[in-house]
Order: sequence, then structure tokens, then C-alpha cells
Amino acid sequence: MAKSPKELAEERLARFEAAANLEEPDRVPLWGVSGDIIPAYSGITQYEFNYDYEKAIKAIEKFIKDFPFDFSMAGLAGLEGRIFSIAFSEFPDLSVSLGMITGPMHDILQDKYYRYPGREIEENASPQFIGGTFMEADEYDKLIEDPIGFISDTILKRVCRNLATPRQSMAAMVRLGIEIKKGGDFVAEVGRISAQLGFPAIALGWGYAPLDIIGDFLRGIETVVLDLRRYPEKVKKATEALVEPVINYALTSKMIGAKYAFFPLHLNEYLSPKLYNEFYWPYLKKVILRLLDEGIKSFIFFEGQHEAHLQTILELPRGWGIAYFEKTDIIKAKKLLQGHTCVMGGLPMGLVTGGTPAEIQEYIKKLLDEVKPGGGFILAPGVSTAPAGTPLENISAIIEAVEKYG
Amino acid sequence: MLDELFNKIVDMEEEESINMAKAYLENGGDPQKLLEVCRNAMGVIGDKFEKGEYFLSELILGGEIFGGIMKFTLPLIKGDTKKLGKIVLGTVKDDIHNIGKDIFKAFVEAAGFEVVDIGVDTPAEKFVEAAKAHNPDIIGMSCLITAGLSPMKKTVEALKAAGITDAKIIIGGGRVDEEVKQFAGADAWADDAAKGVRLCKQLMGVEG
Repeated sequence: MAKSPKELAEERLARFEAAANLEEPDRVPLWGVSGDIIPAYSGITQYEFNYDYEKAIKAIEKFIKDFPFDFSMAGLAGLEGRIFSIAFSEFPDLSVSLGMITGPMHDILQDKYYRYPGREIEENASPQFIGGTFMEADEYDKLIEDPIGFISDTILKRVCRNLATPRQSMAAMVRLGIEIKKGGDFVAEVGRISAQLGFPAIALGWGYAPLDIIGDFLRGIETVVLDLRRYPEKVKKATEALVEPVINYALTSKMIGAKYAFFPLHLNEYLSPKLYNEFYWPYLKKVILRLLDEGIKSFIFFEGQHEAHLQTILELPRGWGIAYFEKTDIIKAKKLLQGHTCVMGGLPMGLVTGGTPAEIQEYIKKLLDEVKPGGGFILAPGVSTAPAGTPLENISAIIEAVEKYG
Repeated sequence: MLDELFNKIVDMEEEESINMAKAYLENGGDPQKLLEVCRNAMGVIGDKFEKGEYFLSELILGGEIFGGIMKFTLPLIKGDTKKLGKIVLGTVKDDIHNIGKDIFKAFVEAAGFEVVDIGVDTPAEKFVEAAKAHNPDIIGMSCLITAGLSPMKKTVEALKAAGITDAKIIIGGGRVDEEVKQFAGADAWADDAAKGVRLCKQLMGVEG
């Protein structure tokens, strides 16, 4: 007899939790692809997907119904908005709603961080974070002295054209509130549909690496890496000053009952072990440990190549969370972290885009032979955004392979 | 002095390198020799990256130091310096990121290539136009996000359809690999700038 959606959702959740708890699940859990392929599969534009909640919900429903991965980021809308959450970190009820900036929110703020389809870029282009330099090198002291004040009163005014004057700001904030409500309804509806289709609700909280706040939102990545050499003491003090606001923001994860806090790292692959261990890791570690104190496991996307820093993960207590790798050798990572950290990743998007179903099945079989034993592993694409033209038979091949070999 | 300068650049001593290069020229030093030393230093920085001793932050800083010295050195060099080859370089359509393209550009220029930078979010037609106008030895396409993979394929197809078959095509970016190279129909791929420069030299038949 076919399983009920509730049974399916429970089974999938148990699979995920077993892996996260370093146990062997009934089969290897599969985190799916999402992104550009979802609107493409329904024949709608990126603009419609980002600006028309009804069309987006239908597209998500169609995709997760036809490609039933155990879990995915399919319902996620928007781009990184952590700086807004930090600015609002004294108001936890608002901070939680600003972690992602959607297309309509971008319109309201008129910010310079993002480029949205049908706005700055073509209707069928993928929304993109571009960042920039919004803080000068001689302003580190202001950031150190009062990080939240400096970000809210100075930086956001520079970033968002519609926050430039108090009057514009009042209007933008009211509009933002209305939009947050609409976005919340969208998330709830995606949750309802997912549950009907047998997908578990895994409440994902949030965190961030303090130095990434400076790189992504204040100085720009290309500039902050130069700052590390030019003004090392200032950067270190500023990063230290950001630890508490980031932790306060991360702890709002509790408000949605999250057992996992998901966040990506960005500067990790830019830094040598020396710089990583001096400027990045100690502060990130504080965030992870504080979340763990509250019973929340960090679920971290180690963007790019993290091989040079793998050993540092062993400094964390066993079972601290999930390490999701993009380009790091997954077999090597699994061997090193076996019994200590749940490892996630393994499937290169190049293969999913350019390979054949047979190649994909063969690749997954070989990979799982190596990484399945002992549990604590979640199979996922290295980066979950599947391009619009991804062959559909390749996506199905991933699911079939995991059914067979997982 | 030039030996010392070479070491300073390789060791990422930004301020001292720039000051030393200025002092060298002020004391009547040969700008052509200075350029060569800086180029060699950039080559070593690239090698160190490929060996895993240096990381992206060192590549960015290396490019910054090189650019800083070139600002006052290149205007002093008379006549054209001999180039290894010409590259038309751009980030493909639907991707507006320039970071990877710019890091690669700094290093490949330092290696002696002439680069025609055609920007980001570059449609296939613009690659074709630039290839016709500049007759490059190599066409370099960059992308950061996976949305750039299909445009790479389309751009390669458009170039071939326009009869541009002499130029070698190299694709680059964090999400590029052997599979993507085959998918796009390119001649070479690199997921870091140092490898990209090495491959460009190989494509030109120069020792990498």
C-alpha cells in the first residue's frame, strides 16, 4: 500500500535526523536541486517566479511533485539579507523576517546589493547578489564602536536609495512590513503543499560568519581580503564587535523552533589557513558553539574549496552539525570527519547539467560505495542551483540512483 | 635591488614593493626590466596558488601590487612590448559577476597577454563581434553562477556558426569543470586564475 503523505514526511525526516546525528538511516538521504530549473520547468520567467507568488507556488508544487527529493531549498525565495537582520537584531520579531530579501522587497528598498530579473537584469536571468563597497577603510572604528548603530544609521542609507531620508525610510518600512506579511503567507502555503506531498517541515534557522558580514555587505569581498593585510587589527576588532550582534540574530532561530541553523560561508576559500585561523574561524566557531548551547545544530555550506581548513572542523564537539561541501573532496572529508560531523554534498552540478543519466547513476553508485558506510552522510549537489536547461532525465536519474544504491 | 623587489612582491609586502619599485625608477632603473621582474613575481604567485601555498586572497593582493607598480611603470615603456597573444575576455550572458574575470585578467596580462575585456552579462553576439573585430588567439568566458553554464554553450555555438574557428576557447569560473567543458564545447577549462593562465600559455604553445 502506498504510504500516506504523513508517513512519507516522517520517514524523510527520520532519514535526515539519523544522518545529522551520525547514525545510519534506512537509506542515504537526498537533498535535491532547486533554483533556475523550477520556473523553467513550469514555463514561467524568472521575473514571474520572483514577483508573482501564485505562479511561484504552482511552479514549486509542480517541481517537487515530479522530482521528489527528500528535501530541497525549492521553497526558498530571495537573496542573502543578513545585514538587515543584524540592523534589526535588537528587535528579534523583525530580525527573523529580513534574512532573505525577495524581489518585491528589493523594489521597496531600492538597494544596491541585488539585481533582480525584470528590473536591473533580463526577465529570464537568475536573481543575483552583487554586493559592493559601502564602507570606507577609515570607518572601521565606527563599526567597532557601535556595529548595529553604524550599520542601521549609516550603511543602510548608502545601500538603499529608499532609506536615504527619514521620510523615505518611514514609507519604505511600512511597505516592507506589508510585503513581509505576503512573503510569510507564501512560505506558509509552500509548507502546506509540501506537507500534502509528503515532505517534512525542517525549520531552518540562521547564523553567519562575522567576517562575511564585512565582506558581503560592507567592504566587498575583493576589498576585505586586502584589508586583512592593510589594517589587520581594525578588521579583527570589527569582526569581534560583530560576534554579539550575529549571535543575537542567530538565536532568533529559536523563535521558529529551529533545530538547525543554515548558513553559507563565503570568504573561507579565499583565505590561507593562517588568515582563516586568525580572522575567520575563531569568530565563526563562537557562533556555532553558542547555537549548540541552545540545542541548535549549525548546518553550514562551506562554499568553494574548503580542503585547507578541514582539520579545524575537528575542534568542534562531536555532532555539532552538518557540513555541506561544494568543491571539497567529499570522500576525503567523509573519511576525516567520520563519526564526528555529518557530511553533505558530493554531486557536481557540471555532471548534472552536462552528463547523461547513465553517467550520473554510475557516479552516484561509486560515490555511495565510499561514503555510505557508517552513516552520517547526506547526498546533495555541490551547489543546489540547477540551471534552467538542466536535462530533466538527469534530475530523475539522481533520484533513481539513490533509490537503488542508497 | 630587483631581486629584493621580486621577493617583496612574492611575499605580499604591498607598500614596500611599491616604494621599492618607485625608488628603482627614480634612480634611473630600466622600466622594461622592472616589468619583467614583476611579471616573474606574478608567475611565482600563480605557481604558489596551484601548489596550495597561496589562496585567492593572495591572488587578489598580488594583482593589486602588480597593478600598483604598473600604473607608473607602463607609461615609461616606449613602443609595444611583445605580447604572447591576444584574449577576448568576458563574463557570459545572465551572469553579472566580474570577480573571477578580473583576477584572471590581472594574471594573464602579467603573463604577457593582451586582454580585450568585454565586460559582464555579455551576449553571444557581443563575443562574436569582439572576436571579429580583434581577431584574438583565445576567447575566454567566465561565469560564477550555474546560470552561466548554458550561455557558455550558446556562445561557443554562436562563435562556431559565425565561422570563428581559429581562436581557442577557454572557460573559467568556480562552477566549471571537465563536464562543463564538454557540455559547452570549449577547448579548455579552469576553475582558478593560475590554472587559466597556465592553460592559455599551453594553448599558445608556450611552456606553462
